[in-house]
Amino acid sequence: MQQKVEGYPLKEYTTKIRQIAKEALENREVTAIIGWRKKDFWWQSPVVFLEDPADVQQLVWDPFTIYSPVKFLLDWQESCAAKVGIFVKGCDSRGINRLLQDKRLERERVAVYGVPCGGKADAEKIRASFPSKEIKSVTLIGEELVLAVGEREERVKAEAYLLDKCLSCRHPNPVVYDKLVWEEVSPRQYADESRFARVQAVESLVTEERFAYWQRQFDRCIRCFACRNTCPACNCRVCIFDQAEPRWLGKANDPADTLNYHIIRAFHVAGRCFECGECERICPAGVPLQELNRKLIKGINDAYGDYEAGLDPTDVPPLGTYRGEDPAGFDES
Amino acid sequence: MKRIAKANLAELLSAMAAEAKLYVPAESDGIVNFVSWQEGLAVELAALNVLVPPKKFFYPQTETVLQYEMGEDLQIEDFACKAGEKAILFAVRPCDVSSFAMMDKVYLEEPPDEAYRRRRENTTVIALGCTEPDEACFCQSFDIDAAKAPGADVLAVDTGEELALVAQTEKGEELISALNGLLSEATSGDENKVKDEQEKIADRYVTSVSLRGIKERLAGMFAADYWERLYKRCIGCGTCTFLCPTCHCFDLQEYAAGNCGERIRCWDACMFADFTQMAGGHNPRPSQKERVRQRFMHKLNYFPQQHGDYACVGCGRCVRKCPVNLDILEVIREAGGGTDGL
Repeated sequence: MQQKVEGYPLKEYTTKIRQIAKEALENREVTAIIGWRKKDFWWQSPVVFLEDPADVQQLVWDPFTIYSPVKFLLDWQESCAAKVGIFVKGCDSRGINRLLQDKRLERERVAVYGVPCGGKADAEKIRASFPSKEIKSVTLIGEELVLAVGEREERVKAEAYLLDKCLSCRHPNPVVYDKLVWEEVSPRQYADESRFARVQAVESLVTEERFAYWQRQFDRCIRCFACRNTCPACNCRVCIFDQAEPRWLGKANDPADTLNYHIIRAFHVAGRCFECGECERICPAGVPLQELNRKLIKGINDAYGDYEAGLDPTDVPPLGTYRGEDPAGFDES
Repeated sequence: MKRIAKANLAELLSAMAAEAKLYVPAESDGIVNFVSWQEGLAVELAALNVLVPPKKFFYPQTETVLQYEMGEDLQIEDFACKAGEKAILFAVRPCDVSSFAMMDKVYLEEPPDEAYRRRRENTTVIALGCTEPDEACFCQSFDIDAAKAPGADVLAVDTGEELALVAQTEKGEELISALNGLLSEATSGDENKVKDEQEKIADRYVTSVSLRGIKERLAGMFAADYWERLYKRCIGCGTCTFLCPTCHCFDLQEYAAGNCGERIRCWDACMFADFTQMAGGHNPRPSQKERVRQRFMHKLNYFPQQHGDYACVGCGRCVRKCPVNLDILEVIREAGGGTDGL
């Protein structure tokens, strides 16, 4: 499943990643590597765990190495005493800071390989333009997406095929790392403009419409908890939603309980969400969770001044402190 | 065989809605699901898999089993014997139709589940044959003919401008005769067209797996290292189980308030930690490894041992939707050894 389009140095990035992983394993700097590999289809690049230097040939870097490897560090740390090496994109790296700030990760037990990222591709957008069954490979070269479709090669402007979350990404370069895998990329233009666009669109609805909008979204929720399980900010050892006694969340798929779940989830990551957007991307039911997360970020910015989580694990989060000049909110009566 | 112009589909749906509660696939916010049909609703005929499989009509995600009240004496109201309104499911894909037969083995074997039985009995299933599987479709590997759907009451085939309708059961005959005013008799030309459409599909799969020997091989793999490697990237969400047309495990929960209460049955998932959590705190499946192993063992070994069939119909939902791409294709390939087509 390697990139098969000829005539381009496509494997350069993948080669670099393999080389770093191989060296780290061979030199025993780490006992395991967490990265990405290719699976059956062009749109699948799942996370992989490697311990044998010979296995680094599985590692890839391609437009679908999207899933954040960061949360696996929690399990890893609990089950294994040794040091692990992890490849992180800009968004993933903020997850590392999230775990550090939440005191859930021991920094010295992780070797962080920062991978500057030009954005990841949206398989749905590609499928809308090209027959999925005929696509053999998809590669991002600079600002172009190169697709091998059947026997032909297609080159398209990448921007139209990137994930929405990547188009509004402010930190494509890792913010924490021990080693930078290659040179930094320039942040995407217009990222700031699109960041709160959907929040503003929902805000502009009148209350009844807005309620109906969210009702329709939550109505599709199947209660799989993928949004919570993928989130590095959701790192409680036992989530209250999993407690049987007392049971805070009924197991019946009841609209009030589903609403309750989504509101509590969003509030619990308020001020801690670092906008990786994975909850929304992996939601099987297409619930626009990033609108909730960003609504809270916007509210925090308005009330306490601009703050971005996951940039510096030693900073003082606005919701984690109190200052005399803070808006009093509920006390204003 | 009957036929109707697709331009007249709304009339057909309206007539069906007069016969029974009608459910159709429809798109909303980019997601296709079966929803209750109402005048003016656009039916989505192109989508292969609806998000939530139609098992939900026989085995709802949440249902009331009984309500009770403690007074002078205990009053219990049984809901199972009231379940099952008269319903029609329109445009169920053949993989999902096959899943019904599989679920029947669980819920209709002695003693049958009364609520499930009543819903099955009162529902008429209209299948929509497939002509173009996508790369995640592999029903063919389970010997499902996606152009046909032998378990459906009526088979609909999209012939371009028209839908051809074939009644396959008594229930189907009844429905077709109730709709007769709107339908025309198919000609031998139509029948050939349907046959043509049905024959096309066999060569259009790009994904297949070999199941030969997998049940036997898995029988010896309970303690294998394989699961240790496989489970690590599972995040323990319920996407695969809730979207699987054949997953059928449930939980019973009491919603008690004072002297009265309600007992509900709801979908549960073997991927969740609390699925096997015992009252005393012990969990026989202590980590995600045991949970992942259970899911695939159940589908490819335990279920076929008990019921003769694999608990998978190759619909591909887990392939498309698993956030970490941990799906049954991978397990069949790696545990079974069949690599053809991938």
